[in-house]
Amino acid sequence: MNAPDFNLNEAIDQHLDGTLSPEDFTRLQETLLTDPTARALLRQRSQMDATLRDWTLARQSTPLTAWQPSPKPPTPSSWFSRPIQLTLATAAAITLAFFLWPKEYNSPEATSSGVAMLSQTLDAEFAHSPLRSGDTITPRTIKLTKGLTQIEFFSGATALLEGAAELEIISSWEARCLSGRIRVHVPPAAKGFLLHAPGMKLEDLGTEFALNVKDNTSAVHVFEGEVIAHTDRTSSSLKQGMTLGNTTTDFLPITELHDLIAQRQQRRLDAWQDWSNQARTDARLIAYYTFKHWTDDRWDRLVNNFTEPRNPKHSGGAVGARWTEGRWPGKEALEFKRPGDRVRMSLEGTYSALTLSCWVKVDSVDKKYNSLLLTDGYDNGEPHWQIYQDGSLMFSIIYRPDGITRGGDWNQIYLSKPVFGPDSLGRWHHIAVSYDNQSGQVIQYFDGAEVSREVSKRHHAGRPISYGPCELGNWGLPTQGHPFPIRNLNGAIDEFAIYAAVLSGAEIQSIFENGNPK
Amino acid sequence: MAHEPRLRGFLRTLLPTWEDVDDVLQETSLIAWRKFSQFEPNTHFMAWIGTIARFEALRHSRTKARDRLVFTDDLLDLLADESLTETDLREREHQALRHCLDKLPSDQARWLELAYQPGIKFHEAAQLAGKSVTAFYKTLQRLRAILQTCMTKELQHSTP
Repeated sequence: MNAPDFNLNEAIDQHLDGTLSPEDFTRLQETLLTDPTARALLRQRSQMDATLRDWTLARQSTPLTAWQPSPKPPTPSSWFSRPIQLTLATAAAITLAFFLWPKEYNSPEATSSGVAMLSQTLDAEFAHSPLRSGDTITPRTIKLTKGLTQIEFFSGATALLEGAAELEIISSWEARCLSGRIRVHVPPAAKGFLLHAPGMKLEDLGTEFALNVKDNTSAVHVFEGEVIAHTDRTSSSLKQGMTLGNTTTDFLPITELHDLIAQRQQRRLDAWQDWSNQARTDARLIAYYTFKHWTDDRWDRLVNNFTEPRNPKHSGGAVGARWTEGRWPGKEALEFKRPGDRVRMSLEGTYSALTLSCWVKVDSVDKKYNSLLLTDGYDNGEPHWQIYQDGSLMFSIIYRPDGITRGGDWNQIYLSKPVFGPDSLGRWHHIAVSYDNQSGQVIQYFDGAEVSREVSKRHHAGRPISYGPCELGNWGLPTQGHPFPIRNLNGAIDEFAIYAAVLSGAEIQSIFENGNPK
Repeated sequence: MAHEPRLRGFLRTLLPTWEDVDDVLQETSLIAWRKFSQFEPNTHFMAWIGTIARFEALRHSRTKARDRLVFTDDLLDLLADESLTETDLREREHQALRHCLDKLPSDQARWLELAYQPGIKFHEAAQLAGKSVTAFYKTLQRLRAILQTCMTKELQHSTP
């Protein structure tokens, strides 16, 4: 498929950068052969490229100013442990930064002032702004009204907090518990982590401890390692098994959050399984992949088609892609990472409508086109479904007039608004598209909600849809001796359904709700 | 040698990667050294060495054509012919651009330095910059546009 538009300037720059696709290279060469101004532009940009390279070489022979990392240790006593933390990896990172870091910090690089992240939550409710697991936390006070949440500080310290509780996050090395029950684990790398509490300041020397704060009084218990408790009068060392403050209080057990989360996930998985057992009997299905595989499959590459009644002819074969955890523990998915990763299928028949429905975790939109489902090649009536470089969903189908087998711009492209961005990458989302060859209407969905609805100007009613050899997560078998464009998905797919009919918005919404991992 | 930047720019037009340019440049220098006695003083040195470089680039492209994105012979001929008539313009552009680069704020200079390091692949440079390939590409396009504008201005000032 050709790019929606061909931009000469961009093609020349991409050619010089070494990022131009083979198709666009062909177009570039055709343009250069016929257009003298295009050639003049190429020569000018090539000279610019050469000058920039000379200039870079000249600059790199002069030393740069060192870049200083600046996490301040919280107390003087932890100065002693500081040099140990300068591991080889850190040293290597600093050396690299020395050469590559921008001299000034006001560079166009994306920045974050986050100091911690929310790694897990269970029925958690927050008083001010809602937080989701995976969110980055900037210094602020977190008021948990109910439930449990786990916070991972960038220093490496981890805290489990039970609502109702109030925790002020000061930096990646420091926090203050105002009320509630908290349990903290500090690995050797985060030694020196400081937790303030009413009447005391706890300096952690690599350990696990719990703190309860109630009515402005604190009680602390050390499960492992050592904590220095500084009070107004004295500093005392607390060792394993020792308690300071009210000894009758219950400290927060660590097993609680993980057990409860595991139970909830099991319930969600069971509910989805029940729904899925019913959904797979839908007569409109052409293929339904849930990525369940059996350990006794000796080749480990079979991607079963689970439509009922069974149609093993529509099963797929995984190439490269590896089995990974899906939306819940115990639910499998296939991960696509490398340029060759794909699932090959062959779906016979011609159809008058389609709905594609997919649960996907996109880790990065790092190519111009990121494949979901594409037919080999791009012949009349073959659908292509991809994520475009700006994070939008892109459905396309082509019909060339009779007698024309290649060339020309007959592509019908439908783009949604961008849906994959920093907020949605790395999480499971449901996406769907439907197309009907009578009305020509293409509707795309993200997490059950409609994100685009369009009819192409090039639509003519009644032209058939077909798949034939096709694949998930990549595009096309390369012909011998020819380079192929790299379009592999960077992410994982854990459910994919292909219907021969248009599903209604309500049906898509229901698929989303029944499969929502939360 | 003063002609080297121009020769590099010339070869860059004809060849797909910097490795190719470096290979051909080295070969060209060797041949030019051996044939230097044939060079007639008071003629255009750039035109002379350009002819050698052009021949070497063509030969190099033919050996690489089977597995890579290289221009066809027709196009290489066209580009080389036209290049050799405008070496002075290229030289003035080179000087103007150097001037523009000196004025660039240091943070912007760093992005360029990252992208134009010898041997680095575009996606590696993006990774080192902590950006997606798309975002890094956009940053570079912005910088190149700034440089192009600056260069055009500089040339207008310097042209009588």
